[in-house]
Amino acid sequence: MSALLDVHSLSKAFAGIRAVDGVSFAIKPGSMTGLIGPNGSGKSTTIDCISGFQRPDGGRVVLAGRDITGARPHDIARAGLMRTFQNVRVYEQLPVLDNLMIAGQQFDEAGWVDELLRTRRYRAAVEVAETRARELVELVGLTRYSALEAGILSYGQKKLVALAAALMPKPKLVVLDEPVAGVNPSRIREVEDVLRQLNQAGETFLIVEHNVEFITNLCDNVIVLDQGRKLAEGPAAEVHQDARVLEAYLGLAPEMESERVPA
Amino acid sequence: MKLTAVIAAAALAGALPWLTSSNYIIGVALSACIFTVAAAALNLVYGYTGLLSFAQLGFWGIGGYATALTVMTFGGNFWLGLLCAALTNAVVALAIGYPALRTNRHAFVMTTLAFALLVSLVARDWVSLTRGPLGIPGLPPPTLFGYAFRTTPQFYLLAWAYALLALGFLYALCTSRIGRTLVAIKQNESLVRAQGISPMPYKLAAFAIAAAITGVAGGIYTFHLKIIDPLFLDFYYMQTFLIMVIIGGAGSFWGVVIAGVLMAALPEVLRFSEDWRMIIYGAVLLAAMLAMPGGVAGWLHAWRVARMRAAVR
Repeated sequence: MSALLDVHSLSKAFAGIRAVDGVSFAIKPGSMTGLIGPNGSGKSTTIDCISGFQRPDGGRVVLAGRDITGARPHDIARAGLMRTFQNVRVYEQLPVLDNLMIAGQQFDEAGWVDELLRTRRYRAAVEVAETRARELVELVGLTRYSALEAGILSYGQKKLVALAAALMPKPKLVVLDEPVAGVNPSRIREVEDVLRQLNQAGETFLIVEHNVEFITNLCDNVIVLDQGRKLAEGPAAEVHQDARVLEAYLGLAPEMESERVPA
Repeated sequence: MKLTAVIAAAALAGALPWLTSSNYIIGVALSACIFTVAAAALNLVYGYTGLLSFAQLGFWGIGGYATALTVMTFGGNFWLGLLCAALTNAVVALAIGYPALRTNRHAFVMTTLAFALLVSLVARDWVSLTRGPLGIPGLPPPTLFGYAFRTTPQFYLLAWAYALLALGFLYALCTSRIGRTLVAIKQNESLVRAQGISPMPYKLAAFAIAAAITGVAGGIYTFHLKIIDPLFLDFYYMQTFLIMVIIGGAGSFWGVVIAGVLMAALPEVLRFSEDWRMIIYGAVLLAAMLAMPGGVAGWLHAWRVARMRAAVR
């Protein structure tokens, strides 16, 4: 089966430091891929390069057969890749429902003239978007907050709003940047369930996360980055046994002691 | 309920020439109409999109001069002049907006300020076109199907009609998904881009639409004054528009419209004491800003958010 996302020897340097150094991997449609690694291993830069927020220095990114290397973020989003951000980003002063509806509006038929004249096409598009937004709000369990401004929600709830917004246009691939970092541990299970449910419905995810348990529970394929390079890839159970992964994470070699990073 | 109130207020404003015979009161109401439109246009750029633009003053001036020159120099009529004002401004706004909007928000403010000063310089120094400080006096009253807008009450109806048209358009724009997208751009531009929306066409459109609307307002006001000179580009106008937006609450359509009407009337209401007038005006502004840093609408909004928070607990 051909890959939904094909990343080929991606690289990006900042002032001579190779943040991402020839990383290649492929994501199958309908899969759940985890991207893990110690702090500074290049996870965020990798997904920034994939989603267009950083322009890669080299390599290729192909989404569903279309070359999106170095394309602008909004073009990549329109091509079917939606992402969330590590430091949660929502429209603080807009209601939860509007947060979702904005995320979907680029993908319907209504143009600017329809907007101003409130044509039938505009009303139909709004109705479709609102129905979908309500479904997603219910899915992430925020129905009772849907009319409230996103800014008054808790950090974890905002992450759920961001997740639901990313799902609005029914994207081909959803990239989640630390979906449960800073989320109340009792809530992490709920997020897991929601993601699993979506995945079973056919949605493809690439998840960057420090929470190894979360990744292990969810992902069928795990990619480990260290110092900008791909260290290992495979099913979660296998990757955990990999000596190089343990070394990168736990610093078993004496000279790496100072770089100890909790998993 | 809200619709009824709006229609009643608009009709009442339209009936003003029959309610009072005072040209002075009607003159103040005329300024209120025009300034409110300019403030609402600034609100689209500053309040909704988050771009503090001093270029509005330049567009106000270009609108005034374009209308006056069309009539006095190029032999067109007033309506053609207004069309020229709108089109010139839209084109100029696109031309300076595209590079200026690629910079960051602070640089944008400085660029628009420089633009406003530049327009004022051109008005003063391009003597062969604008007659410089002498200005262009004797602007004739506009006519429509043989009806001349000669007296202040007649001209007021023109300004009132334009205010309805422009505010109606801005309201449709601000309450559509375009308006909501502008707010989204103000709040988090990178999130907007991650959601497949390119911010530039939205920002550029808001800037150009505001420029065209401000230009037509300037054109109408010029013909009310019956003269245009470089004083039409005095910072007084920019300050007036900005005060209306800030007191009303940047980003609130009705807040700015109501503040526009009130703030146009306030300096006149204070005329009971000529010596203290501007001091009281300043004190009112200061008190309003101290008590309500987000404007009236911001204050109401904070109150609503507090209620939401209480409801969540």
